[in-house]
Amino acid sequence: MDTFLQVTAYGLLQGGLLALVAVGFSLVWGIMNIVNLSHGAFVILGAYIAWEMQSWIGLDPFLGMFVSAAVLFFVGYFFQRFLINLIVNGPVFITLLLTFGINMILIQGMNLLFTADFRSIQTSYGSNSFEFGNVRIPLVRLLAFLLAIVITFALVAFVKRTRTGISIMATGMDRGAARLMGIQARHVYALTFGISAALAGMAGTMIATIETFDPSKAGKFTLMAFVVAVLGGLGNMYGALVGGLMIGLVESWAGQYLSGTWVNAIAFLVLIIVLIFRPNGLVGKAFYAARVEF
Amino acid sequence: MSKKRKSIAATIAASSLLMVGVYSIPAASAADVLTITIGASVPLTGSLAKEGLLTKEGYQFCQEKVNALSTSTINGKKKQIEIVYQDDTSKPDIAAQNLSKFNDKGIKLILSSYGSANVNAQAAVVEINKQTMVDSGGADDAIFNKGYTRTFNVMSPASEYASSMVKAIAELAKPKPVSIAFLSADDGFSKTVTAGGIKTAKSLGFTVIGPEYFPNATSDVSAALNKIKASKPDVILGSVHFVEGVALIKQSKELGIVPKSFAETVAPPILDFATTLGALAENVLGSSQWTSTAKGQDRYFGNAKNYAAEFKAKFGHEATYHNAEASAACLAMVYSIEKAKSIDADKVRSALSTLDMLSFYGKIKFDSTGQNTYKPMSVIQIQKGKIVTVWPRRDAEAKMLWPYVK
Repeated sequence: MDTFLQVTAYGLLQGGLLALVAVGFSLVWGIMNIVNLSHGAFVILGAYIAWEMQSWIGLDPFLGMFVSAAVLFFVGYFFQRFLINLIVNGPVFITLLLTFGINMILIQGMNLLFTADFRSIQTSYGSNSFEFGNVRIPLVRLLAFLLAIVITFALVAFVKRTRTGISIMATGMDRGAARLMGIQARHVYALTFGISAALAGMAGTMIATIETFDPSKAGKFTLMAFVVAVLGGLGNMYGALVGGLMIGLVESWAGQYLSGTWVNAIAFLVLIIVLIFRPNGLVGKAFYAARVEF
Repeated sequence: MSKKRKSIAATIAASSLLMVGVYSIPAASAADVLTITIGASVPLTGSLAKEGLLTKEGYQFCQEKVNALSTSTINGKKKQIEIVYQDDTSKPDIAAQNLSKFNDKGIKLILSSYGSANVNAQAAVVEINKQTMVDSGGADDAIFNKGYTRTFNVMSPASEYASSMVKAIAELAKPKPVSIAFLSADDGFSKTVTAGGIKTAKSLGFTVIGPEYFPNATSDVSAALNKIKASKPDVILGSVHFVEGVALIKQSKELGIVPKSFAETVAPPILDFATTLGALAENVLGSSQWTSTAKGQDRYFGNAKNYAAEFKAKFGHEATYHNAEASAACLAMVYSIEKAKSIDADKVRSALSTLDMLSFYGKIKFDSTGQNTYKPMSVIQIQKGKIVTVWPRRDAEAKMLWPYVK
């Protein structure tokens, strides 16, 4: 029983990390219908910024993540406002192609700038854990998990209770009507993309504190975010959190009771089964498929 | 012939004479030099970019040394080697395709990519194209049990990676541990490593726990650790790459698993391992294809210490075993070309099959399958942040510190 509880706790914490990576990806996909294939590169860029902050001025990653978020916000805003906006009305394949191109440029840029060396942010508490009953809880993973929950609830509060958040939701639901109400869709889209990139930067900082990273890991995080977003469902800010926790638990249980080789296969099997019975994901909203975009 | 046609003919004739003239100038000055082109498809981007760059450095260093010091001639001409590179993006299919591209350009002599999956794909293409390849990055025994005759591996086989550490522990650890837990990534190379380690552990009387597998390149190995936690193994031996290797140490601490020692393949000899893990890396054992205490020397690099010093002066970082095995592969190719006195792929292949040489890298000699089964692996340990050789005894720089946690 102790082993089961330990595995479950680890799965939940891992799920929180996945949710943190996916929440920004899900936001952009849900609001703007853009599958951002450069999301993983933003995550890695955020990791490098926090790593540099620690190397230069010894900034703790839990402070460094705000620097990462700020830098990535402007990067994301810039990309959307001056690049992706140019083709935002085009077919989905064009946006896929463009974000894939941005992804390639960012990865190669990071390869040149930071080399392909493996990096990690070292802290004195990085591998600390504490016992809760007979279950050991790793400290940084717990903090990352809590961060994922806080960000999710903050995002919900932001889009429901602030004027800017409501304009983001309105633009996501009906771009034409939002424009008629005086909302600047281009700015709102850029703002949304900037927020998504900022969240990716925070996720990257947590990744860098918990594990190792290098530019080649970008693809893995994009795929991870994609799976979590699809499983959780779009159009609901809690989707990434629910999807992330689900994948984290499934992978953890699969790893415990089956050979490690099956872990990825089982995670995708769960995704397929969920989509058969709930095509919009676990908590996704069907109306997003029929939204109006002009 | 019309005036116009005469004019065109005159122009063509003049151009031809001019071209002959232009090309005859360098041809005359280069008449005494034979440039030997060797193809190398290495992962410069993607998940193996780090190791790919180290491999490329090793090849570059070899080219520089050979071209500077070579005195032997082929057909009366002084030889120079030119290694041309292609990025295989860490993907086996691209690694294989690149060799066919080389073949289309008439390049028959090949230095391998990095990673067993890449080299496995390349070895098949080398047979089809009748090229000859010296392998510096694919140690999986599975590459060499398919009957291929044109791929030669300078490295010790994969089955020796974990086995060498088990032998070192049996010989040097006091008190001798009782149990070893084997944790492994699930790729072919790592599984071969694990099988070799388990076989040796059983033969030396250790109690074997596991093996437990996790997905290749994962950063979460907690499930495998949870499975062996209750057994309280004396040693945790990981057949891992860098990412899994770091995760194994970090997550063991998170989960409160404290064996007498950690031993890992591949990861600890990479310089980033100690810098990434800091104090957690202390006393971790690792297996290495080469260290700067290796015995032997050759006329291009001298001994291992010379190699290490000159390499650091050129590239600004310590030579890793990835660098050394790449240089050694290139060296084996060069010696075989000199022995064959030809750049014909078949003749070089024949020379490789009978090559028996000592070098900065140790002994290079290939068995009937193309593997260098004559070179032992070294065991290193992270001590005060530095990589030091602790086994075999004759090459040891320091005593093996035991146990991991007192």
